[in-house]
Amino acid sequence: MPAIELTNPAALPADWRDILALTKPRVMYLVVFTGLCGLLVAPVTIPPVLGFTAILCIALGAGACGALNQWYEADLDAKMRRTAKRPLPAGRMDRQSALHFGVGLSFFSIILMGLATNWLAAMLLAASILFYVFIYTMWLKPRTAQNIVIGGAAGAFPPLIGWVAATGHVSALPLILFAIIFLWTPPHFWALSLFVRSDYAAAGIPMLPVVAGTTATRRQIFFYSLPMAAAALAPWLLGLSGPVYGGSAAILSLVFIVLAARVLSNPSTEPADMGPEKKLFAYSVFYLFAIFTVLVADAWLAR
Amino acid sequence: MSPRHDPVIEERLEEERLRRQRDRARILALLLGAFVVLMFFITIAKTGMNW
Repeated sequence: MPAIELTNPAALPADWRDILALTKPRVMYLVVFTGLCGLLVAPVTIPPVLGFTAILCIALGAGACGALNQWYEADLDAKMRRTAKRPLPAGRMDRQSALHFGVGLSFFSIILMGLATNWLAAMLLAASILFYVFIYTMWLKPRTAQNIVIGGAAGAFPPLIGWVAATGHVSALPLILFAIIFLWTPPHFWALSLFVRSDYAAAGIPMLPVVAGTTATRRQIFFYSLPMAAAALAPWLLGLSGPVYGGSAAILSLVFIVLAARVLSNPSTEPADMGPEKKLFAYSVFYLFAIFTVLVADAWLAR
Repeated sequence: MSPRHDPVIEERLEEERLRRQRDRARILALLLGAFVVLMFFITIAKTGMNW
């Protein structure tokens, strides 16, 4: 049977797998995890079904951001090897459907969050979606090499939203969790952007390695890892967590700084020789998981 | 004859369209069912909290 080219978006409704792919499920796990940690570390317990719904809404909000990001960046995605096979650049779906899906999912997640938990959490969820779509995707990302620095705030919202969903108010600890992710984002993304630099350059996205070069990026990675480590230690230094967290955060952050120092001393400009960058990128994901896991464990041990 | 008007291709496109519509309808039905159940339990939980 001859193969049929099924890439005409007008001819067919999108496959459900492509609709799911719009939500970027593979990057959603970190958002869900940090949101869950914000909820679990809060000093109150809410009914499990409300906690589940809060996390579901955070996941749906993140999915909406992914869909709106892919809707806006379809032309850029087509120019990068890493993203060219996504449903929109590959022509398996039309842009209008992606826009409708993203906007619909945004409203659904915000309203459900408000009904199930409280409207402050819903407002924070709305703020994070608006920040990601308008401030990061549309404004900062195509214009400045500092896009990740300010745009990182969008990814830092989930633990704050999780906490507020449980307690109904903002306090010091969730703001510190926000700061940890905010300061963690630049070294994490810059490590990645060093070894996929050519992709960003081809798409004309002014990521730091493209605009300022590899040496300046490595310096920035190292310097950002220092305040990030300080933020990670802050819950313990301010008496908001115990020694289990303090000791673990110190060791985990020290390893992060050592790996960032190795990146700093690597002179290579070839992706094939960027072992330290790849190691730091992989470790940075583990680091965030570990820091938040230990924080929750410490909080639960103290109860 | 252009590929778009080849009867074999037309038939396969129609089959594919129906398959996708069926899959999407099933998934939507499941999601709506799950949403109703979720709303029921949210209502029970919030009533219990006297909110």
